[in-house]
Amino acid sequence: MVILLIVGSIVIGFMVGVLFLGFSRKIKARIHWRYGPPLYQPIIDIVKLFHQESVSHGFLFDFGILLSLGGAIVTLLFIPIGNIVPLHGSGGLLVVLYLMLIAPLGIALSSVEAANPNVSIGISRKFILALGYEIPFLLVALSVMTNYGTTSFVEIVELQRASHWGIISMPLSGIALLLILPVMMGMKPFDQVGAPQEISSGPEVEYGGIYLALSKIQHIYLIFIDIALFVALFMGGGSEPLTFFMKMLPIFLIVLLISTVYPRFRIEQAFNYCIKWPTIIAFLGLLLVIWR
Amino acid sequence: MLLECTLLIGFGGAFLVYLLGKISARVRDFFAILLSVVLVVLVSLMYRTPGIELTYFSFLDYPLRLKMDWISWFFGIAVVSINLFAMIFSLSDMNHKKRVDLFYLLMLLVNAGMLGVVFSGDLISFYIYWEIMSWSTFLLISFKKEGWSAGLKYIILSIIGSFSMLVGMLVIYSQLGTFNISAIMEQMHTLSPGYIFSTLLLFSISFGIKNALMPLHTWLPDAYTESESPFSAVISGMLTRMGIYGFLLILFVIIGLGRYLEVGSGGYSFILSWLGAITIIMGTFIALLQNDAKKLLAWHGIGQGGYMILGIAYGSSLAVAGGIFHTLNHAIYIVLLYFSVGAVEYRTHTRDLNSLGGIIKKMPIAFMGALLGISGLIGVPLTNGFVSKWLLYKSLILNHSPFLAFAALIGTWGTILSVYKFLHNMFLGQLPEKYSNIKRAPFSMQFPIIVFSFTIILFGVLPGIPLNIIGKMMENMGFASMQVNIWGIVTEMGTLNTVNIFFAIILVVFGIYILYRIGFRSKRVTQEDTYAAGHPAPRDKYAYTSEFYAPLFREMKPIFREWVSIFFEKIVKFGGTLSDTIRKIYVGDLGTYVLYIVLFLAFLLILRMGWNLW
Amino acid sequence: MDREQVIKALKDSGKWGHKYSFWVVYFCTGCGIIEIPPVITSRWDAERFGVIPVATPRQANLFLITGYVSLKTLRAIIRTYEQMPEPKYTVGFGSCPINGGMYWDSYNTIKHLDKYIPIDGWIAGCMPRPEAIFIAVTHLWTMIDKGMADAYKKYREQYKYYRRNQEMVLGELEWPPLYPIDEDE
Repeated sequence: MVILLIVGSIVIGFMVGVLFLGFSRKIKARIHWRYGPPLYQPIIDIVKLFHQESVSHGFLFDFGILLSLGGAIVTLLFIPIGNIVPLHGSGGLLVVLYLMLIAPLGIALSSVEAANPNVSIGISRKFILALGYEIPFLLVALSVMTNYGTTSFVEIVELQRASHWGIISMPLSGIALLLILPVMMGMKPFDQVGAPQEISSGPEVEYGGIYLALSKIQHIYLIFIDIALFVALFMGGGSEPLTFFMKMLPIFLIVLLISTVYPRFRIEQAFNYCIKWPTIIAFLGLLLVIWR
Repeated sequence: MLLECTLLIGFGGAFLVYLLGKISARVRDFFAILLSVVLVVLVSLMYRTPGIELTYFSFLDYPLRLKMDWISWFFGIAVVSINLFAMIFSLSDMNHKKRVDLFYLLMLLVNAGMLGVVFSGDLISFYIYWEIMSWSTFLLISFKKEGWSAGLKYIILSIIGSFSMLVGMLVIYSQLGTFNISAIMEQMHTLSPGYIFSTLLLFSISFGIKNALMPLHTWLPDAYTESESPFSAVISGMLTRMGIYGFLLILFVIIGLGRYLEVGSGGYSFILSWLGAITIIMGTFIALLQNDAKKLLAWHGIGQGGYMILGIAYGSSLAVAGGIFHTLNHAIYIVLLYFSVGAVEYRTHTRDLNSLGGIIKKMPIAFMGALLGISGLIGVPLTNGFVSKWLLYKSLILNHSPFLAFAALIGTWGTILSVYKFLHNMFLGQLPEKYSNIKRAPFSMQFPIIVFSFTIILFGVLPGIPLNIIGKMMENMGFASMQVNIWGIVTEMGTLNTVNIFFAIILVVFGIYILYRIGFRSKRVTQEDTYAAGHPAPRDKYAYTSEFYAPLFREMKPIFREWVSIFFEKIVKFGGTLSDTIRKIYVGDLGTYVLYIVLFLAFLLILRMGWNLW
Repeated sequence: MDREQVIKALKDSGKWGHKYSFWVVYFCTGCGIIEIPPVITSRWDAERFGVIPVATPRQANLFLITGYVSLKTLRAIIRTYEQMPEPKYTVGFGSCPINGGMYWDSYNTIKHLDKYIPIDGWIAGCMPRPEAIFIAVTHLWTMIDKGMADAYKKYREQYKYYRRNQEMVLGELEWPPLYPIDEDE
């Protein structure tokens, strides 16, 4: 039964993530007054990448990318997608906070073995950005855990269902998380890590074929996880997967629309953005929770 | 019987090894290892017999006592195991260096001193062994010529700490008339709160210096950096953590949990916890700015010490368990990291993070050690550091201290940044030409690295093994018993099941591996065949290492400085200026001196007249 | 996608992928690159064919040689082409790579690009219109369907010939041969 749940959530996460990605390319094209690629274009790309040759720079180059995708998938298993939570009794939100770090760490280990300075610059930007968004994100997570008095994901969702959504009881924390969501997902104003024009797509410089495919799949899962986190923490999760996805869609659209109209920030600007308003709002949100 | 034997063998063996060194180097090495193994065996044999206490020596009719309970056993086994592997490591590291006999003698003396500290049953013995440990440490830090000033800094602070402890002991003795720890425990309730507070403060200064709590930490970075690598491992792994043992002893054994939490109506616990939290943040973020591999680790030693203090000072059952478990975990991974750096330094003769790079291809075992070490330091799930940090966070969050939890969590993220820089600049990236011919580390260096790497994973997947003993310690210290089983922790506040996570990751990575094999096999290429905008990659210095987080540094540098050292330097400067001013009195002119005397006499005269000039 | 196409895609997913997902290495060799921005942006929208620009040769499978090829650029072209993963397709864009074009008597450009790297197809014109790129892409689809877009295999088989030509104009190359060369032939 658990195995079935695990496979189910992996497949669902992938399908929904791919759908979101295809959708985002289509919407972006329509905003540009273009026709845009078909909805299933990400699948074509991934299938192609699986059929392409690739180069490897060593053992760590292979191992890191497997670790990265593995970390992303295992993180997914802790998040309640509707009523599907394969690993509900093994740790909760605290473990998720830590598991979310395995995926970037895997990429960081793998890509750097290519001995390319573009990669190092990309990874250095990734970690600076991560520090930037983790400060408000940890404050938000702490306010949620303090508010509901538990670290278990399932209980947080159930408590929301019993009373009302988290965004109503903790409005400031919700806003802060929404403000840093594009940074966590690495969407447009904050895509300094893989900036193609400046550092030749950063950590993915030497990835080709299967490595690039695994890296893209990992990114798809991360996008899914970030939005799912918001929905589970602040929008009451969902009683079945479909409502959950319905709730994810508007959040994704907001982030997408922001990303379509903004150009890329510089890394200092992104870091300063993160530690300024989102942090202040998240801090006030935490104070509000304690004060109540 | 076993206890006295252990101490006797520890001290006697140290001097024996020194004498044997005069005869032959090989015999000395053999006996040093043999002695370390014997000590490990002896301490392990005591596993079944905690709870004994005995008098081993009477000095002027005063009985000096030894004790053996779970706290002592826990720290004792950690001390002797780390000593054993440090000795194995120094077999090749100290090869072809000068005064090796002395080095072995001092290492073994430090080891025996630490054993004495954890086995002491009264405060006099505690003080004596503490001093033996401190002075041998001083000699070891200043073993190299460059370490002289670091050693001086250490010993000055250490003497301050010792005096503080001595006064604290006298305060207790003046009130209770005994130095015996178990006797003090029983009579502690007769002390007034003021005395409890002053004892606590005096002992806290002493142990805070040893454990490098934030305003008292200045000795540590230089001391760790300048010592030889095996001793860096010992001093960071266990010697500094004698401060934690001291804190456990004073807070929970001597004073007792209930009375400790009432000191200043909880204010003492609050302040100590926040000092720990500040230590975490400052320690880890200053580490980010370092460019010397050992110094970076040294600042992490300070920061991680903050986690332990935070856990212990917080005083809730889970937090204390987390703090103690973190002491053990920290010992394991920091020793591993120092061994890895030591191996790299042994082959490349440098530890400057800006000039190394790409050594993974040449020293894979050292890389594995460093990787697992930093994983433990970060607390990546399935490594040991994760479990102890999880306990700590959970306790802080559920007891409604989110800001302390925030300090601890953000410290973890600072750790990620700096240790990734450490790993990247040393092992990853482009291999410079001058290191293209280096060999692997010798086996006596690889063996400790492999053992400790294995331990990190073992305690990360099956944290129940050490937590079982920690649970017994907690019962000794008067906490409620913990629900521990082999695969994790069950508390009323939630569970952690590391084995589940382990199997999930294994399953998923295996699945992806199959997916990976379905795709085309990849072609192995060299590091020269990398994208360089359509040109062949430059042979040397095609790497991004110096100023790795340059945009962040610009923001951080004004805030994260060594404020305490700056303060001390200001005081020294002020003292210098003051002395210079005073010196101007001595002009060297006889007439002026006569004038001084006349003025002074006039002053006395006026004083005598009672300021009635007219 | 109708039913026939689905069956076709499932039958040979690799071919399907390669056809509808051309990732072009973003490399400007000459004046022809000026036609690429309109192609990938709103006016002509190459993304609906699955054609997008990528930053590094490792990720790309289509190489557009846009415009004249000077000797200095040729070195970079060869390096980039060798770093692309197989299967890879190359298209010469404009008349200069075909026969030198208006630079036919220049001391510093090469005249026949297909002596140095294998080419799958050519787009003639100076400049070709952006639509011509789409014609090239659709033509490449048919070629992939029929298995005719195999220039990269030719490079492997006749590597000695290409390497000799490259060294003839560029002198000694700094990188080792991509495939082993049998010297005693």
